[in-house]
Amino acid sequence: MSARVAVTVFPGTNSEDETLRLLRDVGCDAELVHWSRADSLSQFDAYVLPGGFAYEDRIRAGAIAAHDRMMDDVIAGAQAGKLVLGICNGAQVLLEAGLVPGTGPVRRPTAAFTHNSPVPHFVCRHVYVKLAIDPSRCAITASLPSDALIPAWAAHGEGRLAATPERLAEIESGGHLAFVYARANGRVDDAAVPNGSALRCAGLTNREGNVLAIMPHAERDAWNFNHPDRREGDDVLAPSGGAALFRAFAQALKR
Amino acid sequence: LLKTEQTPPKGLALRPEEIARIRERLGREPSIVELHAFDAQWSEHCSYKSSRRHLKKLPTAGENVIVGPGEDAGVVYLGEHNGERYCVVIAHESHNHPSQVVPFEGAATGVGGIVRDVLCMGAEVIGLADCLRFGDVSDLESHQTYVARSVVDGIGAYGNAIGVPNIAGDAYFHEGFNENCLVNVIALGLVKENEIIHSRAPQGSAGWDLVLVGKATDASGFGGASFASLTLDSQAEEANKAAVQVPDPFLKNVIMRATYRVFALLRERKITAGFKDLGAGGIMGCSAELCASGGYGAEIDLDKVNLALPDLPPEVIAVGEAQERLIWVLPPEITPEVLGIYNDEFTLPQIAYNARAVPIGKVTERKQYVLRHHGETVMDVPIEFLTQPIESDEPAGTAASARTKPRPEGRDAIDLCSREPLYRRYDAVVRGTTVLARGRADAGVIAPIPGSRLGIALGVAGDPLLSPAAMATAKFAVTEAVCRVVAGGARPVALTDCLNFGNPQKADHYKEFVDAVEGLRAAANTFGLPFVSGNVSFYNESSHGNPVPASPIVGCVGVIDDISKVLTPAFKQAGSLLITIGPFSDSIDVLLDAMERGSVRSCTIVGMGGIEMALARMSVAAAEEGRSLGADADVSGPPVGFIVELAKGAQLEGATQLGLVIDEPTIPWGEGRIDVDRLRAAWSYPLAEVYP
Repeated sequence: MSARVAVTVFPGTNSEDETLRLLRDVGCDAELVHWSRADSLSQFDAYVLPGGFAYEDRIRAGAIAAHDRMMDDVIAGAQAGKLVLGICNGAQVLLEAGLVPGTGPVRRPTAAFTHNSPVPHFVCRHVYVKLAIDPSRCAITASLPSDALIPAWAAHGEGRLAATPERLAEIESGGHLAFVYARANGRVDDAAVPNGSALRCAGLTNREGNVLAIMPHAERDAWNFNHPDRREGDDVLAPSGGAALFRAFAQALKR
Repeated sequence: LLKTEQTPPKGLALRPEEIARIRERLGREPSIVELHAFDAQWSEHCSYKSSRRHLKKLPTAGENVIVGPGEDAGVVYLGEHNGERYCVVIAHESHNHPSQVVPFEGAATGVGGIVRDVLCMGAEVIGLADCLRFGDVSDLESHQTYVARSVVDGIGAYGNAIGVPNIAGDAYFHEGFNENCLVNVIALGLVKENEIIHSRAPQGSAGWDLVLVGKATDASGFGGASFASLTLDSQAEEANKAAVQVPDPFLKNVIMRATYRVFALLRERKITAGFKDLGAGGIMGCSAELCASGGYGAEIDLDKVNLALPDLPPEVIAVGEAQERLIWVLPPEITPEVLGIYNDEFTLPQIAYNARAVPIGKVTERKQYVLRHHGETVMDVPIEFLTQPIESDEPAGTAASARTKPRPEGRDAIDLCSREPLYRRYDAVVRGTTVLARGRADAGVIAPIPGSRLGIALGVAGDPLLSPAAMATAKFAVTEAVCRVVAGGARPVALTDCLNFGNPQKADHYKEFVDAVEGLRAAANTFGLPFVSGNVSFYNESSHGNPVPASPIVGCVGVIDDISKVLTPAFKQAGSLLITIGPFSDSIDVLLDAMERGSVRSCTIVGMGGIEMALARMSVAAAEEGRSLGADADVSGPPVGFIVELAKGAQLEGATQLGLVIDEPTIPWGEGRIDVDRLRAAWSYPLAEVYP
């Protein structure tokens, strides 16, 4: 039997449909699980937390959802080694739940994705993210090439990684910095960063490498028609670069 | 019997002659609830009493029109995919006064309202656009700059949270809007033709349930319809704030998703229901129009309404405009399951205080509109009398032929510069269906059906500074909106309008409205396109009685059979021939044929700023796509129509040769030439201070 993937829907989630569509397209047996129908959650083999504004981003993005009953099962699953992928708001929830970088107790975050800088406004911008760890360091990236450059859309008001200098040093030295922002040519510099994120961080993984939190939406650059740098002649309905991350997730599920 | 009122309560917009008419028809004094109900229902906002006779002149029919004006939104045919016929739902609305008084909430509520108009046609909401007219923002500390910033934040906060991409829009800045900004919003939906839900009680629905869904009713928005039908008065500003509704995008996000589930349930059970959103006139306005348009009456028990505050007076429950509410007309056997979806599966009561779905009354065979409260009848009127089309007299006096104050010669940087600092605060790509995000081309394009090549283009227009003559402004708005869609590679199929004018009781203000409708009519007929939805906003004037610049704002929806054929303004290749072609119906046909054959490499409209600005946009767009190209061209031609970059060897009938794309990033500018990088910096700078 193939691994079953739950796509969690909190009150305020808004990217569940396109996330589900892409997961199914790359061959995952995925379904939506709503907050009021979460009893079955522990029976799933992997979890994807999609984007949105769970619980209206009250207190701080992801802070309330991290304490939702659904997260009991996601946290237990992550601790048991199940794969967990959080995108945008889902990534914020994983940080608030303490699953990534996972350097402190559960639900006691050691880092947060918080208000963009220098201007604390929502920003929607096409970006690229570059793999910043050895692919095998994280189960979900294991099948990606070591120079993987993934197109995606940043669309968030709270995407700046913030932590104390000691915690940031720990993130770097512990191999938690999974993805950094880059330009289309792969060059990593401050101009590529849409939100002032520390370490130019776009994504983080945990010590065990089974949890990945990534801010930009690769699922919104899933098909060639989504992709602003589309080449003439590319089939518009064929998968584009953003789908690579999801294919890697599906690949990881088979191991 | 009803408790009646000898003296009408303060704050009503009803005129004495209207109250006399009500008294005569009822044969008694109206009750206080009835007075408030008629006040809302017969307000300009609900009744279109000053505009209806002119709006009737607009073309509304066409082979692609599935639902024309009259319901909450228009519907046009999109195309077929996997044997199913898909349609686009289009709704257009203003939220000007609320946005001036409480900018963040007022603008957000505008988005919330238009989304419900699309939702209640049985559609998934797939796109948003906003057309904004703000005051002079050169002083960053001024109130009008505060309004301009807060409106954008309000629109972003709402649209982003509910997860609908913002795909098109425009913004103008002019002192004529200092005291009265304009916030017009368009929403698009997707629905299969055989799954459209109408805003009326279906045939045979006597005895069916009226189920109220959403936010608990509070005192917010009480008098909102009348508020929209009066001129803003700064002294009454505090009182007006109470008439502005409070948006809750978090709750709306959940209501939308729950409603999609209800759609699926109704499809599965093959039930035809009625569905309508609550806007002006609250529970009363919505339920009365739902039942009257089906040929029925209604009986509603106001005690069943879920309230946010105890002891609200019955007139506030009946006509208050608390946001995020809709009413279903459902056969009683399905009601428990629908309540279960909203209240249990999507847990509305836990999402917002006392939010829920609750049956509040019944559709009746008897054509009376009856409200009960605490066991007493508080309203009992013939439903058709309440909802009938009413008309007000044309204003007396002669109209000044044109405005005395001329519009500015030439354009400032703020008119011409990039709107990106503004729209990058909006989510352009949620849902994963965006083909051309705002700013990429003259129209936004989405591919809303998974696995299908069908695309929808949306272009908006309405330059308020173009001409002091409302008719010319209106004609140009239609032409520009149509041309924008064509420049994106789409075939225009339908129009939508929002008409923003001054006081309809003043002859000169009213004449601008009448002229604009004539301009819309004439231009739409030229292109053979119908208006399928629209909105009128009057009383947009300053405290000194000056109307805002005449602002007919037009949206055009286009269809693309294959999204691989979308076009952007970005130059593609050095050596390509550049031509201009006029913005006329026959030249558009020539251009669309050429696009179909693959003869067009890039395309843009020549609008504000003329040919130079159009070449600037084409070269800057190329730079943004990583190509360093410019143009050698004669820029002395008229500032209308399209600039087209032709594929090698292609020709266009009726075109005028303009020049060539060159592999040097400069374009002609004034007497000399300008570097594209310099243009790019100048283009992105002016608004960056307003929207850092």
